[in-house]
Amino acid sequence: MATEFDKILDKCIDRINGGEDIESCLADYSEHADELRLFLNAMTQTKSTYSFTPSNSAKAEARQRFNNALRERQQRREARQPFSTRFLGWSRVWATAAAVILIAIVGYFGLRPVLFPSDNTPLPSPKGNFVFLISDDANAIGDFTSLTLTISGIGLLPEGSENWIEFEPEVDTADLTLLQGEVSQQIWRGDISAGEYIKVFIYISDVTGELKDEAEAGPVEIKLPSGKLHLSVPFQVSADTVTWFTYDLTVVATGSSQNGPKYILRPVVGESGAVTEQD
Amino acid sequence: MDTPQNNGKPGYIEHKEARLASLYEEFYGKIANYAYAKIGDRFEAQDIAGEVFLRALRSLESYKEHGIPMQVWLFKIARNLIVDYYRKAARGRTVPIDNIELADNSNPADEIEKRDDFARVSRVMEQLTDGQREVLELRFLSELTSKEVSIIMGKSDGAVREMQRVAIEKLRHLLGVES
Repeated sequence: MATEFDKILDKCIDRINGGEDIESCLADYSEHADELRLFLNAMTQTKSTYSFTPSNSAKAEARQRFNNALRERQQRREARQPFSTRFLGWSRVWATAAAVILIAIVGYFGLRPVLFPSDNTPLPSPKGNFVFLISDDANAIGDFTSLTLTISGIGLLPEGSENWIEFEPEVDTADLTLLQGEVSQQIWRGDISAGEYIKVFIYISDVTGELKDEAEAGPVEIKLPSGKLHLSVPFQVSADTVTWFTYDLTVVATGSSQNGPKYILRPVVGESGAVTEQD
Repeated sequence: MDTPQNNGKPGYIEHKEARLASLYEEFYGKIANYAYAKIGDRFEAQDIAGEVFLRALRSLESYKEHGIPMQVWLFKIARNLIVDYYRKAARGRTVPIDNIELADNSNPADEIEKRDDFARVSRVMEQLTDGQREVLELRFLSELTSKEVSIIMGKSDGAVREMQRVAIEKLRHLLGVES
Protein backbone atom coordinates (compact mmCIF):
# COMPACT_ATOMS: atom_id res chain seq x y z
CA MET A 1 0.00 0.00 0.00
CA ALA A 2 2.78 2.36 1.03
CA THR A 3 4.65 1.37 -2.14
CA GLU A 4 1.72 2.36 -4.34
CA PHE A 5 1.36 5.69 -2.55
CA ASP A 6 5.14 6.23 -2.79
CA LYS A 7 4.92 5.82 -6.56
CA ILE A 8 1.97 8.18 -6.91
CA LEU A 9 3.66 10.77 -4.71
CA ASP A 10 6.82 10.39 -6.79
CA LYS A 11 4.91 10.94 -10.05
CA CYS A 12 3.21 14.04 -8.65
CA ILE A 13 6.57 15.48 -7.52
CA ASP A 14 7.91 14.93 -11.04
CA ARG A 15 4.87 16.68 -12.50
CA ILE A 16 5.17 19.65 -10.14
CA ASN A 17 8.89 19.90 -10.92
CA GLY A 18 7.81 19.95 -14.56
CA GLY A 19 5.63 23.03 -13.96
CA GLU A 20 2.20 21.54 -13.27
CA ASP A 21 0.18 22.62 -10.28
CA ILE A 22 -0.94 20.46 -7.34
CA GLU A 23 -4.58 20.42 -8.38
CA SER A 24 -3.91 18.80 -11.74
CA CYS A 25 -2.14 15.91 -10.03
CA LEU A 26 -4.80 15.54 -7.32
CA ALA A 27 -7.43 15.33 -10.03
CA ASP A 28 -5.69 12.28 -11.48
CA TYR A 29 -5.42 10.51 -8.12
CA SER A 30 -8.65 11.50 -6.42
CA GLU A 31 -8.66 8.39 -4.18
CA HIS A 32 -5.46 9.68 -2.51
CA ALA A 33 -6.22 13.39 -2.90
CA ASP A 34 -6.55 14.30 0.79
CA GLU A 35 -3.28 12.70 1.84
CA LEU A 36 -1.45 13.76 -1.32
CA ARG A 37 -2.46 17.38 -0.81
CA LEU A 38 -0.72 17.49 2.58
CA PHE A 39 2.46 16.01 1.16
CA LEU A 40 2.51 18.22 -1.91
CA ASN A 41 1.76 21.37 0.08
CA ALA A 42 4.73 20.60 2.31
CA MET A 43 6.83 20.04 -0.80
CA THR A 44 5.87 23.29 -2.52
CA GLN A 45 6.26 25.27 0.71
CA THR A 46 9.79 23.94 1.17
CA LYS A 47 10.64 24.37 -2.49
CA SER A 48 9.46 27.96 -2.69
CA THR A 49 11.27 28.92 0.51
CA TYR A 50 14.54 27.25 -0.39
CA SER A 51 14.88 27.88 -4.11
CA PHE A 52 16.20 30.97 -5.80
CA THR A 53 16.90 32.09 -9.34
CA PRO A 54 20.59 32.73 -9.95
CA SER A 55 21.33 36.20 -11.27
CA ASN A 56 21.63 36.52 -15.03
CA SER A 57 25.02 38.20 -14.68
CA ALA A 58 26.48 35.42 -12.51
CA LYS A 59 25.18 32.81 -14.89
CA ALA A 60 26.49 34.64 -17.95
CA GLU A 61 29.93 35.15 -16.36
CA ALA A 62 30.14 31.48 -15.40
CA ARG A 63 29.06 30.48 -18.90
CA GLN A 64 31.75 32.71 -20.37
CA ARG A 65 34.42 31.06 -18.18
CA PHE A 66 33.14 27.65 -19.26
CA ASN A 67 33.20 28.60 -22.95
CA ASN A 68 36.75 29.98 -22.62
CA ALA A 69 37.93 26.78 -20.94
CA LEU A 70 36.25 24.71 -23.64
CA ARG A 71 37.90 26.75 -26.39
CA GLU A 72 41.33 26.42 -24.74
CA ARG A 73 40.90 22.64 -24.55
CA GLN A 74 39.99 22.47 -28.20
CA GLN A 75 42.97 24.64 -29.17
CA ARG A 76 45.37 22.54 -27.06
CA ARG A 77 44.01 19.36 -28.63
CA GLU A 78 44.45 20.78 -32.08
CA ALA A 79 48.02 21.90 -31.33
CA ARG A 80 48.92 18.41 -30.08
CA GLN A 81 47.89 16.78 -33.36
CA PRO A 82 50.75 15.93 -35.76
CA PHE A 83 51.15 18.12 -38.83
CA SER A 84 49.89 15.40 -41.14
CA THR A 85 46.67 15.07 -39.14
CA ARG A 86 46.20 18.81 -39.02
CA PHE A 87 46.86 19.04 -42.75
CA LEU A 88 44.37 16.27 -43.37
CA GLY A 89 42.01 17.99 -40.95
CA TRP A 90 42.24 21.21 -42.93
CA SER A 91 41.72 19.26 -46.14
CA ARG A 92 38.61 17.83 -44.55
CA VAL A 93 37.51 21.33 -43.53
CA TRP A 94 37.89 22.59 -47.08
CA ALA A 95 36.17 19.53 -48.47
CA THR A 96 33.34 20.01 -45.96
CA ALA A 97 33.07 23.69 -46.81
CA ALA A 98 32.89 22.89 -50.51
CA ALA A 99 30.24 20.27 -49.86
CA VAL A 100 28.23 22.69 -47.74
CA ILE A 101 28.31 25.35 -50.45
CA LEU A 102 27.28 22.78 -53.06
CA ILE A 103 24.42 21.54 -50.89
CA ALA A 104 23.30 25.11 -50.23
CA ILE A 105 23.18 25.80 -53.98
CA VAL A 106 21.30 22.60 -54.70
CA GLY A 107 19.00 23.23 -51.72
CA TYR A 108 18.17 26.64 -53.16
CA PHE A 109 16.62 24.87 -56.12
CA GLY A 110 14.18 23.00 -53.96
CA LEU A 111 15.89 19.79 -52.92
CA ARG A 112 16.34 20.71 -49.26
CA PRO A 113 13.88 18.20 -47.77
CA VAL A 114 15.61 15.39 -49.65
CA LEU A 115 19.08 16.47 -48.59
CA PHE A 116 18.27 17.06 -44.92
CA PRO A 117 15.89 14.28 -43.96
CA SER A 118 17.35 13.88 -40.45
CA ASP A 119 17.91 17.54 -39.52
CA ASN A 120 16.92 17.73 -35.86
CA THR A 121 15.99 21.42 -35.78
CA PRO A 122 12.57 21.85 -37.31
CA LEU A 123 12.12 24.72 -39.68
CA PRO A 124 9.14 27.04 -39.97
CA SER A 125 6.87 26.50 -42.92
CA PRO A 126 3.44 28.01 -43.64
CA LYS A 127 2.20 24.56 -44.68
CA GLY A 128 4.00 22.64 -41.91
CA ASN A 129 2.44 19.67 -40.14
CA PHE A 130 2.74 21.21 -36.67
CA VAL A 131 1.27 24.45 -35.31
CA PHE A 132 2.13 25.76 -31.86
CA LEU A 133 -0.31 28.16 -30.17
CA ILE A 134 -0.46 30.01 -26.86
CA SER A 135 -3.67 30.62 -24.94
CA ASP A 136 -4.75 31.81 -21.51
CA ASP A 137 -6.99 30.26 -18.88
CA ALA A 138 -9.02 32.51 -16.56
CA ASN A 139 -7.87 33.11 -12.92
CA ALA A 140 -6.24 36.45 -12.18
CA ILE A 141 -5.87 37.67 -15.77
CA GLY A 142 -8.75 40.10 -15.11
CA ASP A 143 -6.41 42.09 -12.83
CA PHE A 144 -4.25 43.11 -15.79
CA THR A 145 -4.49 45.62 -18.60
CA SER A 146 -1.64 43.75 -20.30
CA LEU A 147 0.52 40.74 -19.53
CA THR A 148 3.18 40.26 -22.14
CA LEU A 149 5.42 37.22 -22.41
CA THR A 150 8.63 37.01 -24.38
CA ILE A 151 9.10 33.43 -25.52
CA SER A 152 12.64 32.54 -26.51
CA GLY A 153 12.28 28.84 -27.25
CA ILE A 154 10.00 25.85 -27.58
CA GLY A 155 11.01 22.26 -26.88
CA LEU A 156 9.36 18.93 -27.62
CA LEU A 157 10.49 15.56 -26.23
CA PRO A 158 9.87 12.56 -28.51
CA GLU A 159 8.87 9.37 -26.72
CA GLY A 160 11.79 7.06 -25.99
CA SER A 161 14.33 9.84 -26.58
CA GLU A 162 16.40 12.01 -24.27
CA ASN A 163 17.05 14.59 -26.96
CA TRP A 164 14.70 17.54 -27.00
CA ILE A 165 13.74 19.02 -30.33
CA GLU A 166 14.07 22.75 -29.85
CA PHE A 167 13.17 25.70 -32.01
CA GLU A 168 12.58 29.43 -31.75
CA PRO A 169 9.11 30.88 -32.16
CA GLU A 170 8.36 32.90 -35.26
CA VAL A 171 6.34 35.30 -33.10
CA ASP A 172 8.09 35.71 -29.77
CA THR A 173 5.68 37.92 -27.79
CA ALA A 174 2.13 37.29 -26.65
CA ASP A 175 -0.21 39.41 -24.52
CA LEU A 176 -2.22 36.96 -22.41
CA THR A 177 -4.99 39.49 -21.75
CA LEU A 178 -5.88 39.17 -25.43
CA LEU A 179 -5.91 35.38 -25.35
CA GLN A 180 -8.67 34.56 -22.91
CA GLY A 181 -11.24 31.83 -23.36
CA GLU A 182 -11.13 30.14 -26.74
CA VAL A 183 -8.75 32.69 -28.21
CA SER A 184 -5.24 31.54 -29.01
CA GLN A 185 -2.25 32.92 -30.86
CA GLN A 186 -0.13 30.99 -33.31
CA ILE A 187 3.57 31.46 -32.55
CA TRP A 188 5.13 28.83 -34.82
CA ARG A 189 4.25 26.59 -37.69
CA GLY A 190 6.60 24.21 -39.39
CA ASP A 191 7.52 20.63 -40.05
CA ILE A 192 8.51 18.24 -37.31
CA SER A 193 9.12 14.50 -37.46
CA ALA A 194 6.06 12.29 -37.24
CA GLY A 195 5.76 10.33 -34.00
CA GLU A 196 4.67 10.41 -30.39
CA TYR A 197 5.76 13.33 -28.19
CA ILE A 198 5.47 13.24 -24.41
CA LYS A 199 6.60 16.60 -23.06
CA VAL A 200 6.53 20.21 -24.14
CA PHE A 201 8.28 23.23 -22.69
CA ILE A 202 8.45 26.90 -23.48
CA TYR A 203 11.33 29.12 -22.43
CA ILE A 204 10.08 32.46 -21.19
CA SER A 205 12.77 35.10 -21.08
CA ASP A 206 10.60 37.97 -19.84
CA VAL A 207 7.15 38.62 -18.36
CA THR A 208 5.77 42.12 -18.00
CA GLY A 209 2.40 42.84 -16.43
CA GLU A 210 0.46 46.08 -15.99
CA LEU A 211 -2.29 46.07 -13.38
CA LYS A 212 -5.72 47.63 -13.86
CA ASP A 213 -6.08 48.69 -10.23
CA GLU A 214 -5.09 52.36 -10.04
CA ALA A 215 -3.68 51.94 -6.53
CA GLU A 216 -1.38 49.21 -7.80
CA ALA A 217 -0.97 50.60 -11.30
CA GLY A 218 2.38 50.03 -12.96
CA PRO A 219 4.57 47.01 -13.57
CA VAL A 220 4.08 44.13 -11.16
CA GLU A 221 6.25 41.16 -10.28
CA ILE A 222 5.20 37.93 -11.97
CA LYS A 223 7.11 34.84 -10.96
CA LEU A 224 7.81 31.79 -13.03
CA PRO A 225 8.30 28.38 -11.41
CA SER A 226 11.50 28.34 -13.50
CA GLY A 227 12.74 29.96 -16.70
CA LYS A 228 10.94 27.32 -18.67
CA LEU A 229 7.51 25.87 -18.21
CA HIS A 230 7.11 22.14 -18.70
CA LEU A 231 3.98 20.24 -19.59
CA SER A 232 3.66 16.46 -19.70
CA VAL A 233 0.97 16.13 -22.35
CA PRO A 234 1.45 13.26 -24.81
CA PHE A 235 0.42 13.92 -28.39
CA GLN A 236 0.87 12.41 -31.81
CA VAL A 237 2.19 14.10 -34.93
CA SER A 238 1.81 12.56 -38.35
CA ALA A 239 3.30 13.59 -41.65
CA ASP A 240 0.08 13.96 -43.64
CA THR A 241 -2.12 15.84 -41.16
CA VAL A 242 -1.69 19.08 -39.24
CA THR A 243 -1.37 18.91 -35.45
CA TRP A 244 -2.38 22.06 -33.59
CA PHE A 245 -0.87 22.15 -30.12
CA THR A 246 -2.22 24.77 -27.73
CA TYR A 247 -0.11 25.60 -24.70
CA ASP A 248 -2.41 27.09 -22.12
CA LEU A 249 -1.01 29.40 -19.44
CA THR A 250 -2.61 31.07 -16.50
CA VAL A 251 -1.61 33.73 -14.02
CA VAL A 252 -2.50 33.11 -10.38
CA ALA A 253 -2.54 35.73 -7.58
CA THR A 254 -0.46 34.71 -4.56
CA GLY A 255 0.35 37.92 -2.68
CA SER A 256 -1.21 38.96 0.62
CA SER A 257 -3.04 42.22 1.18
CA GLN A 258 -0.17 43.35 3.46
CA ASN A 259 2.62 42.75 0.98
CA GLY A 260 0.76 43.73 -2.15
CA PRO A 261 -0.20 41.57 -5.08
CA LYS A 262 2.13 38.94 -6.47
CA TYR A 263 1.47 36.63 -9.34
CA ILE A 264 2.77 33.34 -10.62
CA LEU A 265 2.60 32.20 -14.22
CA ARG A 266 1.82 28.50 -14.64
CA PRO A 267 0.98 26.07 -17.41
CA VAL A 268 -2.49 24.54 -17.31
CA VAL A 269 -2.28 20.89 -18.16
CA GLY A 270 -6.03 20.36 -18.32
CA GLU A 271 -6.51 23.04 -20.98
CA SER A 272 -3.41 22.26 -23.03
CA GLY A 273 -3.15 19.65 -25.72
CA ALA A 274 -3.23 18.82 -29.37
CA VAL A 275 -5.92 18.47 -31.99
CA THR A 276 -5.28 16.97 -35.37
CA GLU A 277 -7.06 17.78 -38.54
CA GLN A 278 -6.57 17.71 -42.27
CA ASP A 279 -5.13 21.00 -43.49
CA MET B 1 33.02 4.99 -37.75
CA ASP B 2 33.19 8.10 -35.57
CA THR B 3 30.21 7.68 -33.26
CA PRO B 4 29.52 8.52 -29.63
CA GLN B 5 29.81 4.83 -28.81
CA ASN B 6 33.46 4.39 -29.82
CA ASN B 7 34.85 5.35 -26.46
CA GLY B 8 38.42 6.63 -26.67
CA LYS B 9 38.42 7.07 -30.41
CA PRO B 10 38.40 10.34 -32.40
CA GLY B 11 35.16 12.25 -31.97
CA TYR B 12 34.21 10.74 -28.62
CA ILE B 13 35.70 13.50 -26.46
CA GLU B 14 34.15 16.18 -28.70
CA HIS B 15 30.83 14.43 -28.28
CA LYS B 16 31.18 14.55 -24.48
CA GLU B 17 32.16 18.23 -24.60
CA ALA B 18 29.10 19.05 -26.66
CA ARG B 19 26.90 17.04 -24.29
CA LEU B 20 28.32 18.89 -21.26
CA ALA B 21 27.80 22.28 -22.92
CA SER B 22 24.20 21.35 -23.74
CA LEU B 23 23.46 20.68 -20.06
CA TYR B 24 24.58 24.12 -18.96
CA GLU B 25 21.32 26.04 -19.42
CA GLU B 26 19.16 23.53 -17.60
CA PHE B 27 21.48 22.45 -14.82
CA TYR B 28 23.39 25.57 -13.78
CA GLY B 29 20.37 26.83 -11.81
CA LYS B 30 19.49 23.42 -10.39
CA ILE B 31 23.02 22.89 -9.11
CA ALA B 32 23.06 26.43 -7.68
CA ASN B 33 19.82 25.66 -5.82
CA TYR B 34 21.24 22.40 -4.47
CA ALA B 35 24.32 24.24 -3.20
CA TYR B 36 22.19 27.05 -1.79
CA ALA B 37 20.17 24.62 0.32
CA LYS B 38 23.41 23.22 1.72
CA ILE B 39 25.31 26.43 2.41
CA GLY B 40 22.67 29.18 2.52
CA ASP B 41 24.71 31.68 0.53
CA ARG B 42 23.52 32.62 -2.94
CA PHE B 43 26.83 33.98 -4.15
CA GLU B 44 28.82 30.96 -3.03
CA ALA B 45 26.13 28.70 -4.50
CA GLN B 46 26.43 30.41 -7.89
CA ASP B 47 30.23 30.10 -7.74
CA ILE B 48 29.95 26.40 -6.96
CA ALA B 49 27.53 25.87 -9.87
CA GLY B 50 29.98 27.52 -12.27
CA GLU B 51 32.90 25.57 -10.82
CA VAL B 52 31.05 22.26 -11.28
CA PHE B 53 31.04 22.72 -15.06
CA LEU B 54 34.72 23.70 -15.12
CA ARG B 55 35.67 20.66 -13.00
CA ALA B 56 33.54 18.45 -15.22
CA LEU B 57 35.31 19.78 -18.29
CA ARG B 58 38.73 19.10 -16.73
CA SER B 59 37.69 15.54 -15.79
CA LEU B 60 35.82 14.74 -18.97
CA GLU B 61 38.32 12.09 -20.05
CA SER B 62 37.48 10.05 -16.95
CA TYR B 63 33.71 10.25 -17.48
CA LYS B 64 32.29 7.05 -18.96
CA GLU B 65 29.09 7.72 -20.83
CA HIS B 66 27.59 4.32 -20.13
CA GLY B 67 28.27 4.54 -16.40
CA ILE B 68 25.92 7.20 -15.04
CA PRO B 69 24.00 9.99 -16.78
CA MET B 70 26.11 13.11 -17.15
CA GLN B 71 23.71 15.30 -15.14
CA VAL B 72 24.00 12.88 -12.22
CA TRP B 73 27.78 13.05 -12.51
CA LEU B 74 27.56 16.86 -12.25
CA PHE B 75 25.71 16.58 -8.94
CA LYS B 76 28.37 14.21 -7.63
CA ILE B 77 30.96 16.86 -8.47
CA ALA B 78 28.78 19.47 -6.73
CA ARG B 79 28.62 17.33 -3.60
CA ASN B 80 32.41 17.10 -3.50
CA LEU B 81 32.77 20.85 -3.96
CA ILE B 82 30.37 21.50 -1.10
CA VAL B 83 32.38 19.18 1.14
CA ASP B 84 35.51 21.10 0.12
CA TYR B 85 33.74 24.38 0.84
CA TYR B 86 32.96 23.32 4.41
CA ARG B 87 36.39 21.83 4.88
CA LYS B 88 38.12 25.02 3.78
CA ALA B 89 35.83 27.23 5.76
CA ALA B 90 35.92 24.80 8.72
CA ARG B 91 32.22 25.29 9.12
CA GLY B 92 29.62 22.87 10.30
CA ARG B 93 26.80 21.54 8.19
CA THR B 94 24.25 23.89 9.78
CA VAL B 95 23.29 26.77 7.52
CA PRO B 96 24.32 30.00 9.24
CA ILE B 97 21.23 32.16 9.16
CA ASP B 98 23.22 35.41 8.96
CA ASN B 99 24.78 34.06 5.81
CA ILE B 100 21.50 33.71 4.01
CA GLU B 101 21.27 35.96 0.99
CA LEU B 102 17.88 36.77 -0.37
CA ALA B 103 16.55 38.32 -3.52
CA ASP B 104 17.64 41.83 -4.40
CA ASN B 105 15.20 44.59 -5.26
CA SER B 106 12.36 43.47 -2.97
CA ASN B 107 11.17 45.52 -0.04
CA PRO B 108 12.71 45.12 3.44
CA ALA B 109 9.51 43.68 4.97
CA ASP B 110 9.45 40.97 2.31
CA GLU B 111 13.12 40.29 2.90
CA ILE B 112 12.60 39.82 6.63
CA GLU B 113 9.63 37.54 5.99
CA LYS B 114 11.62 35.45 3.51
CA ARG B 115 14.61 35.31 5.83
CA ASP B 116 12.36 34.09 8.65
CA ASP B 117 10.76 31.49 6.36
CA PHE B 118 14.14 30.25 5.21
CA ALA B 119 15.39 30.04 8.80
CA ARG B 120 12.26 28.15 9.88
CA VAL B 121 12.49 25.64 7.04
CA SER B 122 16.25 25.28 7.64
CA ARG B 123 15.62 24.39 11.27
CA VAL B 124 13.02 21.85 10.20
CA MET B 125 15.33 20.34 7.58
CA GLU B 126 18.01 19.98 10.25
CA GLN B 127 15.71 17.59 12.09
CA LEU B 128 15.69 15.15 9.17
CA THR B 129 18.39 12.54 8.76
CA ASP B 130 21.22 13.35 6.35
CA GLY B 131 19.78 10.90 3.82
CA GLN B 132 16.25 12.29 4.03
CA ARG B 133 17.52 15.83 3.63
CA GLU B 134 19.63 14.82 0.64
CA VAL B 135 16.65 13.17 -1.05
CA LEU B 136 14.49 16.27 -0.62
CA GLU B 137 17.20 18.67 -1.78
CA LEU B 138 17.87 16.62 -4.90
CA ARG B 139 14.19 16.04 -5.67
CA PHE B 140 12.71 19.46 -4.83
CA LEU B 141 15.47 21.92 -5.57
CA SER B 142 17.53 20.15 -8.18
CA GLU B 143 14.45 18.53 -9.72
CA LEU B 144 16.21 15.24 -10.37
CA THR B 145 14.10 12.11 -10.81
CA SER B 146 14.06 9.49 -8.07
CA LYS B 147 16.01 7.22 -10.43
CA GLU B 148 18.76 9.84 -10.73
CA VAL B 149 18.74 10.41 -6.97
CA SER B 150 19.05 6.67 -6.42
CA ILE B 151 22.26 6.63 -8.51
CA ILE B 152 23.77 9.52 -6.58
CA MET B 153 22.90 7.99 -3.23
CA GLY B 154 23.71 4.40 -4.17
CA LYS B 155 20.24 3.16 -3.23
CA SER B 156 17.38 1.50 -5.09
CA ASP B 157 14.56 3.58 -6.64
CA GLY B 158 12.11 2.07 -4.17
CA ALA B 159 14.31 2.97 -1.20
CA VAL B 160 14.56 6.57 -2.43
CA ARG B 161 10.77 6.82 -2.88
CA GLU B 162 10.22 5.47 0.61
CA MET B 163 12.78 7.87 2.14
CA GLN B 164 11.07 10.66 0.23
CA ARG B 165 7.63 9.81 1.63
CA VAL B 166 8.92 9.45 5.21
CA ALA B 167 10.90 12.70 4.91
CA ILE B 168 7.94 14.70 3.58
CA GLU B 169 5.67 13.25 6.25
CA LYS B 170 8.10 14.40 8.91
CA LEU B 171 8.52 17.74 7.18
CA ARG B 172 4.82 18.43 6.99
CA HIS B 173 4.33 17.65 10.68
CA LEU B 174 7.22 19.89 11.63
CA LEU B 175 6.02 22.69 9.33
CA GLY B 176 2.46 22.25 10.57
CA VAL B 177 1.02 21.73 7.10
CA GLU B 178 -2.62 20.79 7.61
CA SER B 179 -5.45 20.28 5.17
